[in-house]
Amino acid sequence: MFDRVINLFTSLKLTVALLCLGTLLVFIGTLAQVDEGLYQAQARYFKSFFIWWSPAAGMKLPVFPGGYLLGSLLLVNLFSAHAKRFKFTRKKIGINLTHAGIILLLLGQLLTDVLSTESAMRLAEGESKNFSQDFHANELVVVDMSDTQQDEVIAIPESLVAAQKEIRHPKLPVTLRVKRHWPNTDILGKPANGTVPADATQGVGVGVHVRNLPVTAKMDERNLPSAVIEVLKGNESLGTWLVSSQIGQPQTFTNDHKVYQLALRFTRHYKAHSITLQDFAHDKYKGTDIPKNFSSVIRLQNPATREDREVKIWMNNPLRYGGETYYQAGFDDKDPTVTILQVVRNPGWLTPYLACVLVALGLIVQFMTHLIGFAMKRRTA
Amino acid sequence: MRMNFATSGRPTSFVQRGAAVLCSALWLAGCGQEEIRVYKILKEKPPVETARTSPHEEPAEDVHYTVPAGWTEQPGTQMRVANFSIQGKDTEQAEVAVMPFSSLGGTDLDFVNLWRGQVGLAPIGEVELSKYMERVTVGEAAAKLFDVFGAEAASEAARKVRTLVAVLPRGGKTWFFKLAGDAALVAEQRPAFLDFLKSITFHEGDANAAHSSTAEPPPAAAGLPQWDVPGGWQEQPPTQMVLAKFLVTGDAGTKTEITVSSFPGDTGGLLANVNRWRGQIGLAGVGEAELAKLVTSLDASGGKATLVDMTGTSKATGKQVRLLGVIVPRGGSTWFYKMLGDESVAEREKAAFIKFVQTVRYPNV
Repeated sequence: MFDRVINLFTSLKLTVALLCLGTLLVFIGTLAQVDEGLYQAQARYFKSFFIWWSPAAGMKLPVFPGGYLLGSLLLVNLFSAHAKRFKFTRKKIGINLTHAGIILLLLGQLLTDVLSTESAMRLAEGESKNFSQDFHANELVVVDMSDTQQDEVIAIPESLVAAQKEIRHPKLPVTLRVKRHWPNTDILGKPANGTVPADATQGVGVGVHVRNLPVTAKMDERNLPSAVIEVLKGNESLGTWLVSSQIGQPQTFTNDHKVYQLALRFTRHYKAHSITLQDFAHDKYKGTDIPKNFSSVIRLQNPATREDREVKIWMNNPLRYGGETYYQAGFDDKDPTVTILQVVRNPGWLTPYLACVLVALGLIVQFMTHLIGFAMKRRTA
Repeated sequence: MRMNFATSGRPTSFVQRGAAVLCSALWLAGCGQEEIRVYKILKEKPPVETARTSPHEEPAEDVHYTVPAGWTEQPGTQMRVANFSIQGKDTEQAEVAVMPFSSLGGTDLDFVNLWRGQVGLAPIGEVELSKYMERVTVGEAAAKLFDVFGAEAASEAARKVRTLVAVLPRGGKTWFFKLAGDAALVAEQRPAFLDFLKSITFHEGDANAAHSSTAEPPPAAAGLPQWDVPGGWQEQPPTQMVLAKFLVTGDAGTKTEITVSSFPGDTGGLLANVNRWRGQIGLAGVGEAELAKLVTSLDASGGKATLVDMTGTSKATGKQVRLLGVIVPRGGSTWFYKMLGDESVAEREKAAFIKFVQTVRYPNV
């Protein structure tokens, strides 16, 4: 039995089958982007073990292997075949190098998926920030503001809020009972078609109404979730708040004479350094609205390293700092003083380059070994 | 080139080790749950240019007090440095607020008539004012206490509510200590309120910080803009979705309201918002073509702004009203400034309103 499993995992047939399925998956996933949008299609088809189908509410059936499953099976297939047959001979140096390159490529992609983050930093001229905001993720935060120097942030991912249960944590002085959660909403001051009362007893949500909107997958839109949170001290309710990524200002509650901020917001990624936008230039081709060039002059300050310098970021000339890359990503067509920088943290960014070098080197070595061998044979013949 | 994929031989320990490492990595990628993060950040600094101005002007003072029994402390707001709720019998409710304001024009009579107007009472004259006023002490200072109660009011609703306000001018600011709510409960809480006033002490310290005898100071809400309030604009407590609210009273007692609000995104765009405002004053919606004729561009501190000036009819009173609105898109949010009310007051205050919008200093968030 064990031998059969080993035989299956080391078989070339499995490799071919997986590559065919992979090609099909790329084709289906690419087509799906038209309707589902890039982010959702990536999550559903490539960043999953299975593609699920729901024939009826509450039912889920796996109908096709997802990217994670195909990638990991390919990796297992490659690893086990190599481990089983690995022999260090001069003739096989090229093949081994090429396969090492492919393994590195697959592992690098896994590393990128697990560890990379992409976010945006939106700055108006003169504005300074030490955090970027996630493109998709939201978080419920409780901020302890009692210290005079620092704030303590307890950040709860939206997925835990969406479960609509009680949230407890050793650092949380209260229990948060999630009474409602909507993944995408519009908040209105008065009732309208399709709205429900927020049922908040405290804060800005008192008397307002929430309209549940379909979840958007469009590249130029994002979901604005809302939730109704009851704050409990033991069994005693301190009130119910409506929190929403649409509400700009954090709200507050008091517990044991301490004031806490409560907010649902775009997930923040804080940095050890701060960036101040000094100047933003947005040139267009004369007489048109077509962007010619846009660039941001920023001031980078890091108190830990005492760095304080000016950097220009423009198209194809990002700033690489602190393990992150800051790209000039966009502008606000309504506010000419606003720049949008894309902030990418990808610890595995070097692996595709190394993998390509290894594969190329392996192929060259393999080809040259055969060529030299062939030439030698002819000479001796 | 021929690749040999023969399938004989036993697995090696290398295979097992490799598989174990791989499985761990895949588990991390596929099954890793999102978790609660806890971290500390330095307090966000206010923007360089935000020297504190109205409504809470420097030099800053703390206010300390003793909380009477039965009062529940509520979080402070932008306008209120201290805030309490009182629950009476059945559904009776009252609230206490401590509000320091500066740049306030107006006399005692103006204030009293403003509060009377809020509960539906007719304005009174200078002569009658003394009937509604008495001397009290706030801490060790002498102050005036105004009793706004309409026992004689025509409407039943007006007879049910009562407001007591102690007014203390101090260090360039005017401090208001307000007890308002159901008339019976306010009368019952009056001795406790007077004791509360006597317990007040002021200390040099952080702006807007309030201390009860047992409480830590609630830090001021961060992220709100700073502005200079034009003379004659009376600051009102903010309401739902409204960050700040001001009231201007005309010569004939007519009122015009100024509100400031902010929402993320473009909230539907310029056309949708102008049409929303048009609907509020009984005007029909317009298309893109007519929109261009209605709006003018304005240079504001927050960037390019759009001004719209429209006259329509109040749905509540049926009288002619004027609406001046400014929309400022800034840093991913849209700021709305609206002046709505009596036409002559709006005309008189238009320049001050535009200057107010142009000089707002936005938070560094």
